[in-house]
Formats: sequence, structure tokens, C-alpha cells
Amino acid sequence: MSDPTGSYGVGIGWRPEIAGFVAALPGLRFTEVIAESVPASGPVPAPLAALRAAGTTVIPHGVRLSLGGAEPVEPDRVAHLAAAARQLDAPMVSEHIAFVRAGGLEAGHLLPVPRSREAVDAVVANVARTQAELPVPIALEPIAAIFDWPDDELDEAAFLTEILDRTGALLLLDIANVYANARNRGAEPTDLLDRLPLERVAYVHVAGGAEHDGIYHDTHTDEVPREVLDLVGELCARHRPPALMLERDGHYPPAGTLRTELDAIAAASGYPVIT
Amino acid sequence: MSSLAARQAALVAALVAGAPDPEGFDPRLLDVARRALLRKRSGEVARHWPLLAASFGTRWPAVFAEWAAGRPSQGSHQDGLELARSLPLRGAAAEELAEHEKAHRPRSSLSRLLRR
Repeated sequence: MSDPTGSYGVGIGWRPEIAGFVAALPGLRFTEVIAESVPASGPVPAPLAALRAAGTTVIPHGVRLSLGGAEPVEPDRVAHLAAAARQLDAPMVSEHIAFVRAGGLEAGHLLPVPRSREAVDAVVANVARTQAELPVPIALEPIAAIFDWPDDELDEAAFLTEILDRTGALLLLDIANVYANARNRGAEPTDLLDRLPLERVAYVHVAGGAEHDGIYHDTHTDEVPREVLDLVGELCARHRPPALMLERDGHYPPAGTLRTELDAIAAASGYPVIT
Repeated sequence: MSSLAARQAALVAALVAGAPDPEGFDPRLLDVARRALLRKRSGEVARHWPLLAASFGTRWPAVFAEWAAGRPSQGSHQDGLELARSLPLRGAAAEELAEHEKAHRPRSSLSRLLRR
């Protein structure tokens, strides 16, 4: 996070199912909440209010804005993201470089946009529309793509760097997505790390995945593979981000397993353990 | 509609609504993505319909995927409701469906009048 006073270290994504576990972490300084689950007005859910009262930073993380859609972002969704930031007194919000609906149909997940000039223009325009309404900066997260578009003109580093340069946005780097994309495309994940503007990384997602149908899927419901933790080390050796968080979205394991994963992220990044 | 908008719409239709694959994409990977979307949806529907999902045990993702392939999501509650209604349910899953039907029965003024 671009907090001039220092770093947030290791965190974990807040989800209702693990609210008790998150609340009991003695060293937690930041977490993230799905922005669409934060009420736009009225009281903030009690567990999140308690974290805020204890001084934990809470970042709203949008998943349904569809910044990568060719159509303009829906004003109501932008307004809600801005409201979530105010509700939580957040220093920033985050969303994905992806689209989630088109032609009146919901895809149900984050889909890749083509790495074309036309798509860069569409993303940049949507980020600008969003930034105009937000009280705080936005960090953009590249996704894990199962397939690529046939009309890709730019490689991933050029595509992302151009979007960041033209929008002035921060980068939310998902290191598990870097791993997944490289593995599925037969590329070296460190090649992307070498070409991204790592000083723009606001924070980092670390998540688990699994192989299905010969493709590595960024599931958030499986354990974090050793290779992803090693990539955390590669990232931190180049430029240590101010914050890294574990992202888990289902099949929640016992608390001991979550603690082990958080400790492993701390060890890989050199930040203090928070458990 | 820009060409990007049309192409995004064609892609989503192919992934969730049974439309043909758009040209130029790797059909194997689109198929992998389709299955991944169905697997994710099956988990979301299971959260709203835990007893329905549990009644199929480990077969749930496959049962859901077979029903949902080519059907765009109408939300996890509605998807589970329509699937449950289409099945010969017994036991806990049947009770779960009855509970949902009771909780979500439309309360039109006409039905209130008729109940008097």
C-alpha cells in the first residue's frame, strides 16, 4: 500500500466464513473485503467495524465492476465502490482488469480482455470514469486467464504497463495469477516480474489453485503451492511490496492450515508473522 | 456497438449460453473455461442449497454442470430452485425445497384475498 509511514506486511482477505479467525489474528494490520458485500449506507457489518476500531485497514475489493467491458461501467456500481471506500475509511480500493458480463449475460467469473489497442482504450476509459467518482486511489489487478484472445497485439507486460501509465492507477499484483498464466502459457513467471513496474504495486494477492483438464486454475479453494511461495520470494528479491495477503474463497481449511499459509507468506516475504 | 462489445458478447454467449465458439479461440481452452465456470457456479448454488447439493455427495458438481450447461445463471437461488423442481427429491433435499417454496411464494394481493 502506498502508505508513506510504512508497510502493512502480511494480511488475509476477510470473508464471513472466516471472520472469527481473522478477528483473532494478533498481528493483522490490513485486510480486504469484497466491495459488493459492503452496505452502501447504514452500519458496517459488526466484524468489519470491530476490525476498523482495532486499527486494521480494510480495502474494498470489487469483483463485478467489469472495467474491461467494452460498454461504460455502470454508474451505480461505481457509486457503490466509492460508498464502500467511505464506509470503511479505506486508503484505496481495488478491481480487476477483466470483464464479467456482455450482451446482457453474466459470465459468472472474471474473463480476460484482449490485449489489443482497442481493449486498452476501453479499460483506460472505464478506469477514468471510476476514478472520477472515487474518493481514494484504485489498484488494478490482472487476472488469471484460462484462454487468450486471437487478436492479442501486446504481451502482458506491455498491456499492463500501458494501462497503468495512462490511468495513473496502482497495481494489485496477484502472484498466483502470474504463476498460473506463466505455467499455462509455458512461460517463465519471473520474466513478467522483470518487466512490470513493481514500484507501483500497492499490495499482492497470494492464493492457491489446482490443475483441472491439464490447466492450472487459480481456484482460491486449494492450498498455496510451493511454486507460488517461491515466486513471492522472487518478487520480494526484486522489490518487496508494502503488503501481501492470502486470498481464500471457499473450502475453508482448519485454522491451523490457514496459520501455516500465513506464516509461509511471512517467511517468503521477510515480513513479521501475524499469527 | 463497437466490435469489441460484439466480440465480448459472443464470447460470453459461447461460455454460458450454448452459443457457438467465436472464431480464432482455442476451442479446447474455451471448453476448459466453460467447465470451470460451471464448477464455480455449482459451489455457489451449493451454498444456497446445501441439502440439495449434499444429497448428491461428490456427484454434485457433475449433476449441476449437466443441468446448467448452456443455461445462463439466473442467480444461485433461482438456479437451485429450478434444478430442485426438476428432480424427484426425497428426504432432506425435498424438505429444503419445500422450505424455499414456502419462503419465496409470491404474496400477491389476489392470493391474500383468496386465502380469506
